[in-house]
Amino acid sequence: MEKILLKNIDKPESHKIESYIKNGGYNAVREALKLGPDDIIQRVKDSGIRGRGGAGFPTGLKWSFIPKDPTLDKYLCCNADEGEPGTFKDRAIMDNDPHLLLEGMMITSYAIGAAVGYIYIRGEFEFGAKRLEAAIDEAYREGYLGKNIFGSEFSLDMYVHRGAGAYICGEETALLESLEGGRGQPRKKPPFPALAGLYGKPTVINNVETLACVPAIIEKGVEWFKSTGTEKSPGPKIFGVSGHVKKPGLYELPMGTTLRELIYEHCGGMRSDKPLKAVIPGGVSAPLLVPEDLDTTMDFEAMGAKGTMLGSGAVIVMEEGTCMVKVAYITNRFFSHESCGKCTPCREGTIWITKILKRLEEDRGRPGDIDLLEELCGNIFGRTFCPLGDGAVMALRGAITHFRDEFLNHAAHKGCTA
Amino acid sequence: MNCSCGVGKRIKDFVKSALFLDFIKGMHVTLGYLFSKSITIRYPDEEKWIPYQRFRGRHTLNMTSEGKELCVACELCSKACPTDCITVIPMEDDTGIGITDRVAKVWKVDLVRCLFCGYCEDACPTRAVRLSREYELSTTDISRTKFEKRELLLPESVPEQVHGGGIAKAKFVRSKDGIKIVANLGKMKKMRW
Amino acid sequence: MATVIINGKTSSVKDGTLILDAARDAGVEIPTFCYQADLMGVGSCRMCLVEIEGQKKLQPSCITPVMDGMSIQTETPQILKARQGVLEFFLSNHALDCPVCDKGGECELQDMVYKHGPVEGRYAESKHRFHEKDYILSPVIVKNSNRCVQCLRCVRVCDEVVGRNVLASLGRGHEQEETSFLRSRLDCDHCGNCIEVCPVGCFMRLPYRYKSRPWDLKGTDTICPYCATGCRMVVEERDGEALRARAQIGVGINSETLCARGRFGFDFINDPRRLTTPLVKKFGKLEPATWSEALDFISEKLSGIEGERIGGLASPVLTNEELYSFQKLMRSTLGSPNIDSSTRWDPVVVENYIAASAMTSGGLSVFDAAEADTLFVAGTQLSDENPIVDYIARRISAERGTRIIVASVRDMKLDSSAGLSIRHLPGGLGALMKAAALSLYESKKDKLQGFAGVERFEGLSADVLLGEAGVSSDELAAITKRFETSATVALTAGTDLLRQSCGILALGLLSDVLKALGKEVLILPILDRANQRGAWEMGVLPGLAPGYRTASKRGLGTKEMIEAAAAGGIDAMYVIGEDPVGENPSGVSAFDALSKLSFILVQDTFLTDTAAMADCVLPGAFPAEKDGTFTNQEGRVQAMRRLKAPPGDARAYLAIIASVSGVLSSTTGVCTKTNSMQVFNEIRKEAPAYAGVSLEFNNRKNKLNKLDNREALAGASEGGFTPVAMTSCAPAAEQRGEGEFYLITGNTLFHSGRLSHSSPTLTGLQKGAALELSEADASALGLSSGEEARVQGNDYEVTLPVRLRKGMRDGVVYIPEFFPGVSVERFFTTGVSLPVVKVKKS
Repeated sequence: MEKILLKNIDKPESHKIESYIKNGGYNAVREALKLGPDDIIQRVKDSGIRGRGGAGFPTGLKWSFIPKDPTLDKYLCCNADEGEPGTFKDRAIMDNDPHLLLEGMMITSYAIGAAVGYIYIRGEFEFGAKRLEAAIDEAYREGYLGKNIFGSEFSLDMYVHRGAGAYICGEETALLESLEGGRGQPRKKPPFPALAGLYGKPTVINNVETLACVPAIIEKGVEWFKSTGTEKSPGPKIFGVSGHVKKPGLYELPMGTTLRELIYEHCGGMRSDKPLKAVIPGGVSAPLLVPEDLDTTMDFEAMGAKGTMLGSGAVIVMEEGTCMVKVAYITNRFFSHESCGKCTPCREGTIWITKILKRLEEDRGRPGDIDLLEELCGNIFGRTFCPLGDGAVMALRGAITHFRDEFLNHAAHKGCTA
Repeated sequence: MNCSCGVGKRIKDFVKSALFLDFIKGMHVTLGYLFSKSITIRYPDEEKWIPYQRFRGRHTLNMTSEGKELCVACELCSKACPTDCITVIPMEDDTGIGITDRVAKVWKVDLVRCLFCGYCEDACPTRAVRLSREYELSTTDISRTKFEKRELLLPESVPEQVHGGGIAKAKFVRSKDGIKIVANLGKMKKMRW
Repeated sequence: MATVIINGKTSSVKDGTLILDAARDAGVEIPTFCYQADLMGVGSCRMCLVEIEGQKKLQPSCITPVMDGMSIQTETPQILKARQGVLEFFLSNHALDCPVCDKGGECELQDMVYKHGPVEGRYAESKHRFHEKDYILSPVIVKNSNRCVQCLRCVRVCDEVVGRNVLASLGRGHEQEETSFLRSRLDCDHCGNCIEVCPVGCFMRLPYRYKSRPWDLKGTDTICPYCATGCRMVVEERDGEALRARAQIGVGINSETLCARGRFGFDFINDPRRLTTPLVKKFGKLEPATWSEALDFISEKLSGIEGERIGGLASPVLTNEELYSFQKLMRSTLGSPNIDSSTRWDPVVVENYIAASAMTSGGLSVFDAAEADTLFVAGTQLSDENPIVDYIARRISAERGTRIIVASVRDMKLDSSAGLSIRHLPGGLGALMKAAALSLYESKKDKLQGFAGVERFEGLSADVLLGEAGVSSDELAAITKRFETSATVALTAGTDLLRQSCGILALGLLSDVLKALGKEVLILPILDRANQRGAWEMGVLPGLAPGYRTASKRGLGTKEMIEAAAAGGIDAMYVIGEDPVGENPSGVSAFDALSKLSFILVQDTFLTDTAAMADCVLPGAFPAEKDGTFTNQEGRVQAMRRLKAPPGDARAYLAIIASVSGVLSSTTGVCTKTNSMQVFNEIRKEAPAYAGVSLEFNNRKNKLNKLDNREALAGASEGGFTPVAMTSCAPAAEQRGEGEFYLITGNTLFHSGRLSHSSPTLTGLQKGAALELSEADASALGLSSGEEARVQGNDYEVTLPVRLRKGMRDGVVYIPEFFPGVSVERFFTTGVSLPVVKVKKS
């Protein structure tokens, strides 16, 4: 398969604009400027691309919600707050191929009529932020950004904004709140950002990978894009594999690749001879899968049918012998630490669950702990303000469903039986 | 009418009266007590009854082992009281600088109204209020039926550590403060109920 | 309108109504913590989740608007379980120290858990504690974060309503804490609204700390006795000691909000220095006496004095009934036309002010004014003097986009909500309004052909006026542009207009021009004494009878009475609640003048300077110790109830007036009514504006949180009166030389009048007066904040600490009124409303 997202990252000096242009960069944006905004949106809609950040919302549809009123200020925000544990795909693009992202953002801004684009980058990505800033400087220098790009009427300014280290700011409304200088907490929806987002103006928020796909759609065409992947989830996807495999790393594969193919063919199988125990298919908030599910294809629908989600495509592989209680504990510790504190179930529930799991993990369980955990999950799920609480609960519920005995053994002070 | 009178019965009655059988039967209980141990408590001159632990007498306010009052003046005892005999007014402890603890400025109980139900004990969240084994409350001075915090905080004459009730040797002491019956708890006879 | 089905019952509500409001409207109670009607919704507590047909997840009813045909369930097993779950989460890290918590017994969390909560707690882990001991945030606020439920009401009320923005969240997740910056002491208004809105015992009152439990308190409805906003509040007492005052959500125009004076300033009522027994002067010394002795003494002394030689002065903090009875006593029983209700205002100016601010045409709701297209705040330091009006303006302008223009000499908090803030020169407000009127007139001359009163523009020139006002032409253009583009314009008529009478005519001119341009003009009087408007409407003015009718005979005003006393024109004074000696109005020394009188009768609560030199002193009662009504600045008539008896032998003023009237007059039933309702019914007859006023509604809590009860607004007064024309309207300012400053005065946020200085809490918030001046002036004088400065007037000088103000006009200094030890009144010599003083570093 022809790579489009990771095509440049191995090339020398790949982050420089010269290298990007040499490899055929910034052609798509020239083409896009000839097409006109409506045409671009239609193409993206036709391509069927779905957001790569986790929720899988059709990108073209999202763009089409933006009001066409030319007097209204509009904004494009690139969500580069890649905070989901196990995910490291956006960082690779931003570190090594920043111009691909910039080109995608230029096309998107043109399509939705935005004159300002913000890249909200995770605070810890200092290197990536510097690379992006350097890339933006280069683009200004070459006249690819600023006033009247390529002699057209289209003007675009772009800024990099570094977050302050909160997972919740990956949630789009919390991202906007943080970008405005407020406290990183989600806002109520509706109104959706497409109508009242940044500074109350229509705003499109897209993931880095989504935006990086846009130049290819314009350049290579809708049909080419749809030829890879499945019917409902077309296009390529970066899978970031980590855990107990021989070759962890980023793999750009078509949507719909099976887990088995990913782990055993591309990643070279398990690290040691131990068999596989569980796989988290889409970042830690996705419920895990067990060896029987290895033939599931990696796309939004199939994963949904299995009760989990594709999420950001961060595959975490665990071999036999991994303590699932510990996995659950570490995961929930992360969520309780990252809970923003706005709504009650998430704020109080995640810390409670974490405290129970810590006890279990240290073999200080009490009878009824597992039932309590399940009930607390029920009290959190669907009652929180934003999906963070849901994510925390879904992962724990999945672990308990598949490995109940292990949890019960911990609760009964029998130690880890994994 | 059917009459049960007969010769046999008359003989039986005669023998009974000749041998004072009814009398002996009647005196049986009395005579038994004549030779059993006495249960009279020679109160107040020599002995004093020490009530069992769950007895509900006059209130006391407990303190921690460090001597800090347990009462936080939450007023739940006065709220729970069915006769409204407890008055609590809270205040901020003046021992520290700035923010300190909540203590009772006034903790007053009117024992004339109290019916010793023990609801105050139950309501107390810090186990500060307890109904003690003090029962010598009769007085000729009405003001002596109202007890203030100062008196209630004094140690009880029968400490909590004394288990069970009984009869203790006591001394009747008359002083200028009034009459006192001082019991020697070391020499206490357990009572069997 | 949208039709919604709530629990099977169909009701129809306005579009955009929140589900929670719609449910409350339909009588369905949905529990919530974070929702508060006046505040922006956050939807964070998750208590108010409801089931909406067709939606999989439960939805928060406090941020979800209704849609037509929506079917909502609020009591399904799923919802009940969700509520239980949320409450269990709330309790998991809650301190549960209810026995020592001041909120215990009136805590929303307690009530909620009792009603909806789980039966047992399953949380068996360690609790997160923010701190071990409560900490002090301000002299009136103490904080315990361990009890917090993170509803953010405190942060929102501080930001959206009060406008101070000093509270925020620290930390994240379960470590989130709503507090000041790094838990430091707050530099704020100390209004305590965060305490009022807190559902749990997280924010608490420091003065009330560990004083009582809510079930011990006995409370009653009353009205704040400080400014004329007329905030309704509940004062609560235990064993005869007033312990706290609080506002209730949905009651009164203020709803849950109060300012520092209202919330913490009621403790003056417990002052041990209050008068408890009548005092009669025997051998040159005031001695305690019984009521009958005192009344006999009064009857003996007063009966020999001719009616016209008696002066009457009543405080504008008395109730309408007392004021009405007093003027009746003065006018009919004693036969004296000399009656006034203020030591500060000139009656002629007051009459013109009443006419210009359209008080005779009835009450105007403050909400109407705040909902106008443009609100022109002028002549008042609104944020300090009438904080609740400031809150209402801020909240409504954010909600409905009212454009606020602030015109003042000093900066104020409302500036942050105002689109335009003008700093004019002291005494320049009249010129500013005239300039605005002139510029409106000139730009629309063709439209205003038939404008009556064109002659008022004669001789006016925009440049001269702008020079007088100290305002640039750009600023003026901005003001007029806003006026031009508004359909309704609300103008405030503050007390500065009474100080500088020039502004009154300008206000009339501006409102006439705006009316001629086809705009609706609303004039909202802004006054600083609780019943000032009531006093005027009750006819406690030398020229006006009750109901704004011209008095049959014009008497003397306060200043004239004192001058007459000095000149031997009157023989006796009857003073209720006022202190002309202590307040010392300009001109002749009131002490010297009153010493010449043969008889002084004082009714007061404290032994004031005037009372100390009186022949007879009768002890009176404060609000909460008497029944009655107040008329606030809007013309809203509100009733208050008696909570407790006055201390000792003290009596309500109404009863005292009745007794005095009883011993003076042989004809019975003149003004011997002691029941305030009876007197009010008489007022209804005498002042037709009050005939239709409903008092009942005032005390009823409104379900829908509609704060504006229009039934209580006074109607228009019939008949009308013509004010005595003011003699001159030149700015009565002296010329300012080099190194000299204009002196202005007014109330402060924590003190207004004498009353507040008897409140220990308010005195703790601000003890002494300070001299305020701009930073530039201060640095020119070599003064920095806190240093002492010497202020020199013509025949008075005083040393005061300096406070710097960023947004104050240069060349102006400010000293507050009525501070003990500072007689700012003595700078104001007769006829000069804007004195010039010298300021030196001391």
